[in-house]
This record gives sequence, C-alpha cells and structure tokens, in this order.
Amino acid sequence: MRLPLIVAAACALVFSVSGCTRAPGYPTEEALRPQDQLDFHVLYSQNCSGCHGAKGQNGAAIDLANPEYQALVDDATMKKWIIGGMPGTEMSAFGASAGGMLTDTQINALVAGMRKEWSKPDVFGGQTPPQYAQDKAGDAAHGHAVYMTACASCHQQAKQQITDANYLALVSDQALRSIVIAGRPDIGHPDWRNDVPGKPLSAQDVTDVVTYLDSLRSQAEAK
Amino acid sequence: MRWVKQTYDWLEHRLQLEGPVKDAALHPVPRNTASWWYVFGSAAFTLLFLQIATGILLAIVYVPSAGQAWNSLNILNHQLELGWFLRAMHGWGSNFMVAIVLIHMAQVFMFGAYKFPRELTWILGVFLLLMTLGMAFTGQVLRFDQDAYWGLGIGASIMSRVPVIGGSLVHLLLGGPTIAGATLSRFFALHVFVIPGAMLVFAGLHVWMVLKLGVNEWPMPGRIVKRATYEKEYHDLSHKDGVPFVPVALWKDAVFSGAVIAAVAICAFVFGPYGPGGQPDPTIIQTVPKPDFFFLWIYAALAYLPPALETPFILIVPVIGIAVLLALPFYASEGEKSWHRRPVAVLTLVSVAVGWGVLTHLATYTPWSPHMDAWSSDPVPGKNLHNATPLVREGAVVFQGKQCRNCHSIGGAGGERGPALDAVATRLTRDQLIFKVEFGGGNMPAYGKNLSPPEVEALVSFLETLHPEHEAPATDPSRKEVQDAAAMAGAAPATGAPSGAK
Ligand code: HEC
Ligand code: HEC
Ligand code: HEC
Repeated sequence: MRLPLIVAAACALVFSVSGCTRAPGYPTEEALRPQDQLDFHVLYSQNCSGCHGAKGQNGAAIDLANPEYQALVDDATMKKWIIGGMPGTEMSAFGASAGGMLTDTQINALVAGMRKEWSKPDVFGGQTPPQYAQDKAGDAAHGHAVYMTACASCHQQAKQQITDANYLALVSDQALRSIVIAGRPDIGHPDWRNDVPGKPLSAQDVTDVVTYLDSLRSQAEAK
Repeated sequence: MRWVKQTYDWLEHRLQLEGPVKDAALHPVPRNTASWWYVFGSAAFTLLFLQIATGILLAIVYVPSAGQAWNSLNILNHQLELGWFLRAMHGWGSNFMVAIVLIHMAQVFMFGAYKFPRELTWILGVFLLLMTLGMAFTGQVLRFDQDAYWGLGIGASIMSRVPVIGGSLVHLLLGGPTIAGATLSRFFALHVFVIPGAMLVFAGLHVWMVLKLGVNEWPMPGRIVKRATYEKEYHDLSHKDGVPFVPVALWKDAVFSGAVIAAVAICAFVFGPYGPGGQPDPTIIQTVPKPDFFFLWIYAALAYLPPALETPFILIVPVIGIAVLLALPFYASEGEKSWHRRPVAVLTLVSVAVGWGVLTHLATYTPWSPHMDAWSSDPVPGKNLHNATPLVREGAVVFQGKQCRNCHSIGGAGGERGPALDAVATRLTRDQLIFKVEFGGGNMPAYGKNLSPPEVEALVSFLETLHPEHEAPATDPSRKEVQDAAAMAGAAPATGAPSGAK
C-alpha cells in the first residue's frame, strides 16, 4: 500500500527533473570559441574600448565614432591599421597574421560594424577634405605660420601643449593628420574647416602643419 | 514467495555468508558510539558507491580521446535525457566525498581513534584520503576543457621541478612531452581502473578492521590507552554496556548517508554540472584557469610565497605532511584520547582548519591572475581624460597599451593583482611614481627598460592626475620647503598645494 505511493513520488521527481530543462542547474550552451565571436559590439568592447572609448569616443586615443573620421578613411586603410598596428603609436597589431588575436573575418566584422554604427551620409556638406594620406612633402616654415594662425589661438595655453616633445614622440604623423582633418569632437578639437571659422585649411596647410610638428620632434632629439 | 526462500537457502548452503554477516551486524559496540559523531565514515563509503554507480553510467557515453572527450560531455549535457544531471551528481558527489572524508579524518583525529590497536586503520585511511584527492584531480582532467588543460599544465610544471627525475616524471604523467591524446588515455586508466580498484581494496580492508577491532569508544578524560590492557578494557566496555551495531548504531548512519545523497542531488539540481568550459586548446590563451575548489588553497599559498620558496614549498611540504600523518599513530599510539587533555592536538587541528579556510577564501575572492584583456576592454574613465593635456591622454594610452590595467583597476574596472590606482597620486609623489614604474618592487614588474623616456613622462603625468577632486596630490616635502622658502623670501602667499601625503 505504501509502495505504490513511493514509486509514484519517485516517478514524479524523475519526471520533473527530466521534463524541466529549466532546472536551475541545467547547463547553458557550450562556450563559443573566441575566434567564432563575430558580434561587433562584443568585439569592439573586448578589444578596442580600452583605448578608443566605450562607444568609440571620449577615450584616450582617436574617436573612431566621429562620422567625419569614418568618411575620411577607407576600409583597406582601416583594416591595415587594425591588423598590423599603427607604427609609432600604441595602436597594436590585432590581426592573427601579425601575432594578434583576431581573425580576418573578425576584423571585417569590426570595420563593417563601425561603418554601420558610426558613419553618417554627407558629413562634409559638399566640401572635399584634404586626402587621408599625405601625398607630397611639406614645408615646416609655412607650417609654423599656419600653426600660429590656425592652432595657437587654442593651443598656446599651458594646458594644451601639442608642441610638447614628449607628446609628439608618442604619436605618428598620420595620427596627427587624421586628427587635424577630421577633428576630435569628443574633446573639443575642431575639424580642418573650423580651426579658423569660415577659412578651411588647404590640403597644403594640413601637410605643412604636420611637417612643422614633426620638425619639433627632431629638434627635441637633437638636444 | 516460497521460491524466494528456496533460492536463498540454496545460495546460503553454498556461500555460507549468513554467519559472518550476522556476527558483523550484531556485534556489540560501546553504547555511546551510537552517536551522530560517528556517521561520517559510513557516509564516505556510501558516496564511494554513488561515485562508482554514476561513474559507470558516465563511462558508457564518455569517449576518452583527445578529439572527442569534450564533445561527448556536451552530448551528455544537452542531448541525452538527464545526462546533465548525471554529470552533476558525479561532480558534486566528488566534492561531497572530499569534504566528508576530511571531516571524517578530523573527527577520528579528535577522538584519538588512531591509537592502539587501530594504527593500520588510520594509515589505510590516509591512503584513502590521498586516493580520494587523486580521483578528484584525475576526474577534473577527464573533463578535458580549458581548466583541465591548464590545471594539468600547472601540475606538470610542478612535477618538472623535482630534481633529477622531474623530466621523466612529467613524461610518465603526460605520456609524452606535451598534453595530448596519450595523456587523456593515461588519466582515464587511472581514474577508472587503477585508483578505484586500489580504493575498493583499501576501503574494504578499512571497514573490515573497523568491524574486527570495534568502533572506537567515546573518549573519557583520564581513560588512558595502554597496549597491555586496552583490548580487555574495550571488550568489557562493549559487552557489559554495549548495544548491537545493527540497528542501534546503524540507523543513524543510514539516515545521515541518505541526507548526504539528497544534498548531492539538490546541489546537482540547483548548481548543475561542472563545465565543460571552453575547448582545451593551447592556442586559446584568453582564459583565466582556476583549479577545482579543493586545490584552491595551493593556488593562494603559491601566490603569497616569494618565488624563491615556491619549489621547496611545492615539493617538500606535501611529503612532510603525508609523513606526519603516517607517523602519527606510531608516535602517539598510547595515552589520552580525550580532547580535554590534548590541547596540542586541538590547536593543531584548529590551526590547520583555519589556515585552509583562509587560504581558500583568499583564492576564491582575490583574482590572482591578471585580467588578460583589461588593457583593451576597460575604458579609462572619462573624467580623467576630459580636461587633460595631450600628454596625459597619451599617458593613458601607454597605461592601456603596456597592459598596466591588467593588474591595476581604475574606476572599479581592471585587474586586482596590484592596488587600485584611483588615488595613487595622493600616495606617491612624482619622483616616487617614476621610481615605482621604472624599478617595480613587490609583485610589480620593473618597466625601466621597456619604456622610453617620453613614455615614462606621459605615464607619470597621467598617474599624477589620479586623485579624488577634493584631495590634493602628494607633494615632496623637500620641494615644498624650497617653495615655502621662496614664498617667504618673496613675502608672497604660499602657493604650494597643501600636502595630501599620508
Ligand atoms: C592600446 C590602446 C589601443 C587599443 C586597444 C586599440 N587602439 Fe586603435 N589606436 C590607438 C592609438 C594610440 C592610435 C593612434 C591614433 C591616435 O591616438 O590618435 C590608434 C589608431 C587607430 C586607428 C587609425 C586612426 C587613424 O589615424 O586613421 C584605427 C582605425 C584604430 N586605431 C582602430 C582600432 C580598433 C578597431 C581597435 C580594436 C580592435 C583598436 N584600435 C584598439 C590605440 C589603441
Ligand atoms: C578651437 C580651439 C582649437 C583649435 C583652433 C585647434 N585645436 Fe587642437 N585641440 C583643441 C582642444 C580643446 C583639444 C583637446 C584638449 C587637448 O588635448 O589639449 C585639442 C587637441 C588637439 C590634439 C590632441 C588630440 C589627442 O588625441 O590628444 C592635437 C594633435 C591637436 N589638437 C592639433 C591641433 C592643430 C594642429 C591645430 C591647428 C591646425 C589645432 N589643434 C587647432 C582645440 C583646438
Ligand atoms: C603583473 C601585474 C602588474 C602589472 C602589469 C603592473 N603592475 Fe603596478 N603594481 C603591481 C603590484 C602587485 C603592485 C604593488 C607592489 C608592492 O607590493 O608595493 C604595484 C604597484 C604599483 C604602483 C604603486 C601603487 C601604490 O599605491 O603604492 C604604481 C604607481 C604602479 N604599480 C604602476 C604601474 C604601471 C604604470 C604599470 C604599467 C606600466 C603597472 N603598474 C603594471 C602589479 C602590476
């Protein structure tokens, strides 16, 4: 008389355990291999937000979320920096081919994700920005003059010493050039059109001012 | 029902087990041993059988090959009805077994039950403890996931430190110079045949001796064990004031064993099986391996030891520990059993337990390993960067890029191997910061040669900004004196910031 009761209780227990894949202990799906992760937000926050900021801005390094920067740079260049790192800066090589952790597919996913999240149409309002890469030699003396008219108004203050030799030793010319052209809206540095309101810098001006900043490096080294 | 009796009689006529079993069951034991303190040994025995039963079921599905072990565990977890529960029972059964065996041992020690004539029972018990730990370790390896892989790697590197024969030992353990298919076959054989076989024999003898020598009497202060008289005294005690082992003592054992099995089942149901974690693959280094619970204390002990002491500690301490346990019943085979008269024993047990607890706690709550991806994933809090100079911002980049973040947190994010640096500027002056970064100290690596002078400059100007708004950064008193003197001389109000150094 007792036995059937016990059997029934046991069956009920087994049934509830087996029927219920929502038992608190039921294991979750197996872990994804790190290389199989292709979600842009996960990839970005694991690999990039440390330097480029949580949402691509307000970070220590350039704000990738700046739509003007996104419009300025093409996919191939961006991939080149991500795979192999940016020489002369702390931007390290993330591509597996260069000793990093990310596969080609993952880097494509990153670039596509940045385009999708941070690009905006027509950010230059019909104007043509100076091209991304420097194409001809610059003139440091003219660069100094450009600096005095276009940059000094803000950068002469003690707090904003971009002419500091230690600072310049840690950034590359290309990094400076990207910032001068596209600006860094997150920290209040204007793009090439707004250094002197209404008077955009010419492509030559940009090249020259970067050449001028570069010449400060070699002066510091000479000392 | 007559055929049952007939079959029984037929068997009994040939086996003749009834007599010995009755003797064993009904033999008298001292009345006060029928206590809740005496239930741990039988519970350990019950768990051993639970592990054997669940283990056999697991072995039916498990594939002991490097390529398929991990998959077969996932099949158990997700594709076989109740497979996950079976794995969970086996995993939690293992935890409970280690715990119960340890408690049993502590109780036996406290009650002086290792003394004459039960020395050999204790010694077999020590080996049973070692085998239980061996089962826990080899079982963890069979999981063959990342934790297992790295745990094994650490085990192998410990073995490789043994002088002279270290290399051969590793070879023996792994079945080759590296962790591969042969390693898994070896651990499978150990976990499924060698250790359980030995364990059954040892446990059988252990129980046999308990039955033959009698359950240890409840210790009374002043009742001294002497080789010459003990056995007669025990006989009198159990026969004059004894109770039959079954059922008076056994029902408590049965209830407790049942409760332990229920607890295993509840843990299995609520917490589920262990892993398998990520795939075992030496190329996946984004992992923070952690050994299973019972080995955590070693982890913490190693983390606290200066590196020069690690090898001696790993190699010598276990040997001494085991030697002490084995020697104990010979050293103290006579004398007092009562804990009221054995202060040294009580103190030893308490300090071992407290030490173990503290180390385990430390290992559980202190993340010893650096956070390997903090440098690229945890943003520097915006308030530190917003009104910063370009050099400070570049210092933050260096801080991330040189992976300082993997050991140091800012704004609550980052590793915790080193101190949080949110207020480091209030503790250290500029010169001290430079010194710390260049020369390291403690567990802080020396970065001197790995940083260029501009990198040091940038880094230190970034570190100098790390102080709460209402608290001024530390200043060098000698510099302040110079400033103050200059201020006095110029009769101008002092400009030096008030020192926040403590
Ligand atoms: C250790 C810090 C660090 C991490 C992590 C990092 N970067 Fe960078 N990155 C830099 C620095 C420094 C530069 C140089 C530009 C600057 O600071 O203005 C840079 C430059 C770049 C550039 C080129 C900017 C230009 O001028 O055209 C791209 C694109 C870029 N990073 C993308 C990424 C992506 C995508 C990730 C994540 C996979 C990433 N970075 C992770 C520090 C980092
Ligand atoms: C309207 C004011 C203004 C003008 C004009 C201006 N900047 Fe800036 N710039 C800023 C501010 C604000 C910052 C952020 C604070 C800082 O880094 O000092 C900044 C930052 C920078 C940075 C550092 C970015 C980084 O990632 O740390 C560079 C490089 C820079 N500016 C270059 C220039 C150059 C070259 C010019 C002239 C062509 C120029 N700026 C003109 C306001 C200005
Ligand atoms: C492997 C982990 C690790 C890494 C990487 C690391 N540190 Fe440390 N750091 C420590 C530990 C541990 C201490 C505490 C040392 C001690 O005992 O004094 C420490 C101490 C410090 C201190 C003193 C903090 C205080 O409050 O006394 C500073 C400053 C510091 N580290 C800066 C850095 C910088 C900058 C970097 C990167 C260049 C860095 N650390 C990288 C582990 C690390």
